[in-house]
Amino acid sequence: MKKEGKYKTIVFGIGNTGRQDDGLGWLFLDFLKTQNPHMDLEYRYQLQIEDAELILNYETVIFIDATKEDTGDGFYFKTCKPSEAYSFSTHALKPETILHLTNTLYYYNPKAFILGIQGYQWELEIGISKKAKININKAKDYFKKNVIVDCILTN
Amino acid sequence: MKKLVIDPVTRVEGHGKVTIHLDEDNKVKDSFFHIVEFRGFERFIQGHPYWEAPVLVQRLCGICPVSHHLAAAKAIDQIVGLDPGDLSLPAQKIRKLLHFGQVFQSHALHFFYLASPDLLFGVNADPSKRNVAEVAIKHLDLAKKGILMRKFGQEIIKATAGKRIHGISAIPGGVHKKVTLKDRDYFLNSKEIPSIDAMIHWSKEIIDFIKNYHEINHKWLNSFADYPSGHLGLVNKENGFLELYDGNLRALDANGKVTLNDVPNDDYIQYFNEGVEKWSYLKFPYLKEIGKENGWNRVGPLARINICNGIETPLAEEERILFKLETNGKINNKTMYSHWARLIEMLYCAEMMKSLLNDVDILSNDLLRKGTRRNEGIGIIEAPRGTLIHHYEVDDKDRITRCNLIVSTTHNNEAMNQAVKWVANNVISGKTKITEGMLNQVEVAIRAYDPCLSCATHALGQMPLEVSLYNHAGELIHEKRR
Repeated sequence: MKKEGKYKTIVFGIGNTGRQDDGLGWLFLDFLKTQNPHMDLEYRYQLQIEDAELILNYETVIFIDATKEDTGDGFYFKTCKPSEAYSFSTHALKPETILHLTNTLYYYNPKAFILGIQGYQWELEIGISKKAKININKAKDYFKKNVIVDCILTN
Repeated sequence: MKKLVIDPVTRVEGHGKVTIHLDEDNKVKDSFFHIVEFRGFERFIQGHPYWEAPVLVQRLCGICPVSHHLAAAKAIDQIVGLDPGDLSLPAQKIRKLLHFGQVFQSHALHFFYLASPDLLFGVNADPSKRNVAEVAIKHLDLAKKGILMRKFGQEIIKATAGKRIHGISAIPGGVHKKVTLKDRDYFLNSKEIPSIDAMIHWSKEIIDFIKNYHEINHKWLNSFADYPSGHLGLVNKENGFLELYDGNLRALDANGKVTLNDVPNDDYIQYFNEGVEKWSYLKFPYLKEIGKENGWNRVGPLARINICNGIETPLAEEERILFKLETNGKINNKTMYSHWARLIEMLYCAEMMKSLLNDVDILSNDLLRKGTRRNEGIGIIEAPRGTLIHHYEVDDKDRITRCNLIVSTTHNNEAMNQAVKWVANNVISGKTKITEGMLNQVEVAIRAYDPCLSCATHALGQMPLEVSLYNHAGELIHEKRR
């Protein structure tokens, strides 16, 4: 059930700014808004099943989240592929699972990417750690040079 | 002694794990459901101006931020001198519309995403196939409807709160925006999304599905995790009907005897205590008069349907009557009936949303009231998972000095422990081999309560569930992650 006349890109920021570095995803969306106020940005605590339907309207999807993984350079930006990775003991869904659902339910595979920004502190507090701030700035620079100029974020 | 652990590995979010202690003959010696949730929030909010509470509390939970927003807003209304009935009718109705949207989408998520895989494929099915993807493959129409119902509720939240995340609908003394004509028509005319009439129709279809499922599987559903408990919730102040936004507190015991007789919200503290256990950070609320041992209650859909005198919407009321017939009008203590009760509430929410969407008051600009400042406020609502209590005290400089939250999952703490014990004693105890299906039955019992174990935070790479089996010497002999 592909919809006609798709928009170019939707960006999901996942996290919670009330939990220190878990807010990296939302903060990155705030940054994108300053770069182009017309981008389609979605703030999420967690991805949800209806997001599988929402992304039908887009050619490209970018998921942005904090990560505990050691990313080396403070962040990674990589292709996201559909995957049947589920846990029904939690309400949260992975980006790969959302893509898998879109594929299964609507037979559609948008181009998809994940930006994972490394975080370190996760307590109930507003404000990110110093190290996370360095990482998000690196990711911003990368996006300015390599992603935004590609215009994939402009609808 | 063997120790069996079912442990969701989480980072900082609500953290729950199950430990089942077996003796050398594999008989269950004891079992616990441990939870860490909302740690530090009550202190975190201290010192903030009271008007920030409805916004800050949304950070508590990524699953039901609207419920926390509304409970806090009701409490803060009191701080500005207004009890629930003092708000303008349009403000009350817009808040209710927001609330029904929230409960509707939350119940849809739980049923389609979390519960339906167990029901459709059975608890012994291969875990890799017991998930929503398999539901999508085998029951495409059901899965699509589930997604659209969930979306409808989220769109109601957006229309009333401005946005789905960090929307600000409720403000002290009312709401900050009305519903626009364009937004209202969006839900009624079927042009862009299936209309509210479709939501009602689909809700009924799903209830028909669950009734049919009960007919076929009644033996299992009637016996699984059936144990006595109290049942707590809000009821309408006038007629004792089902109430989700504002009502009196009522509790009945396992036999239907009244243990809390329609108590006003402001008096809750006189009737409740919170017990603590060394093995869990989550408290154990109970009714003071009955005591910790027997004074605990279930909350949520099953409790609400048990305690109410009726439902004001006709279709949901028909279904409530049929539901009550299953136990000849008596209290229903069967955990698996929670799913059925949840779907009746989903229908109720859909009917209520239709009524509110057709009410011109939601288009009104009469949104705010003022009162005389107080130093204390209590807000109680029925969140999707059950009774949610927010209680604040403020100083003369408008700063919050004390905050007490009793959330739904806390009320259900002992009930979920009882559910685990039931499965441990009836399914696992004495067996020589612990199978995946047995372990899943522990989760099935807990899942019926839809506990909020993944609140507030989330990150890439999370592994939300770990199952570990230790032998009597404490050695890890079996571990599963999913």
